[in-house]
Amino acid sequence: MLNFLFFGRLGDFASGIDKAIPYHIDLATPLAIRNKLAEQHPLLTKELSEPQVLVSVNKMIVKWDHPLFDGDEIAFLPPVTGG
Amino acid sequence: MTVMRLLFCRQSPVVKGIMSISISVQAKDFDLGAEYDRLRSIGDGLGAIVTFTGLVRDFESRPEEPQYSRKLTTLTLQHYPEMTERLLSDIVEQALTRWSLLGVTVIHRIGSLSPNDQIVLVGVASTHRHDAFQAAEFVMDYLKTRATFWKKAHVDGQEQWLDAKHSDANAAARWDDIKHD
Repeated sequence: MLNFLFFGRLGDFASGIDKAIPYHIDLATPLAIRNKLAEQHPLLTKELSEPQVLVSVNKMIVKWDHPLFDGDEIAFLPPVTGG
Repeated sequence: MTVMRLLFCRQSPVVKGIMSISISVQAKDFDLGAEYDRLRSIGDGLGAIVTFTGLVRDFESRPEEPQYSRKLTTLTLQHYPEMTERLLSDIVEQALTRWSLLGVTVIHRIGSLSPNDQIVLVGVASTHRHDAFQAAEFVMDYLKTRATFWKKAHVDGQEQWLDAKHSDANAAARWDDIKHD
């Protein structure tokens, strides 16, 4: 399975989507997942495509073409606002 | 809700001696006096302690709209458990390589907070004030732009996620250009 987390405002746009899907070779990068989401969740994909949005895999910031493997945790991170 | 406190001592890469490092992400309030006393107990070589405490403001403003100001009733802090603590630890490690420090404390609260609540504490202990001042400011600037926290404000009966501020990004960016000797 691939497990998804959406933080901050992204969580509001992702409220209706599955947060875990079976691993598939066609969804083997965060970019592929983002493109797949565009089919049914264009508003979420628009938010994810903002240049300030980062993606992490297993809690490490990665590039959007980072390879995914079964069991990975993919988190979508809008600009942080702590402090 | 995950609450983790990293508390450890290790050899300083810059000064001779042992450093005290404490990093915590927690819902509960913190005791500034107790945290100050803990840094003060470091003892050997200690000559300066700088603490910064951030509070929840009672209004929400927008830099790009100078006339905009709304009463804030609640601020909710979300974070990414484990990743946040690791990022805070990375920030502290960077501070330790830039300045001669004897101790660093970082506490950041999560969950639902009210105006005037304490939200963040950065405490830095060193032999001289320059290192403590600089390191405390560095840790805060990087925390605000790199640690995975997100604020949701409850304003005028509505909830809104807050946007990152350019002023915070600019404050953090100036450290990128400073090479510490």
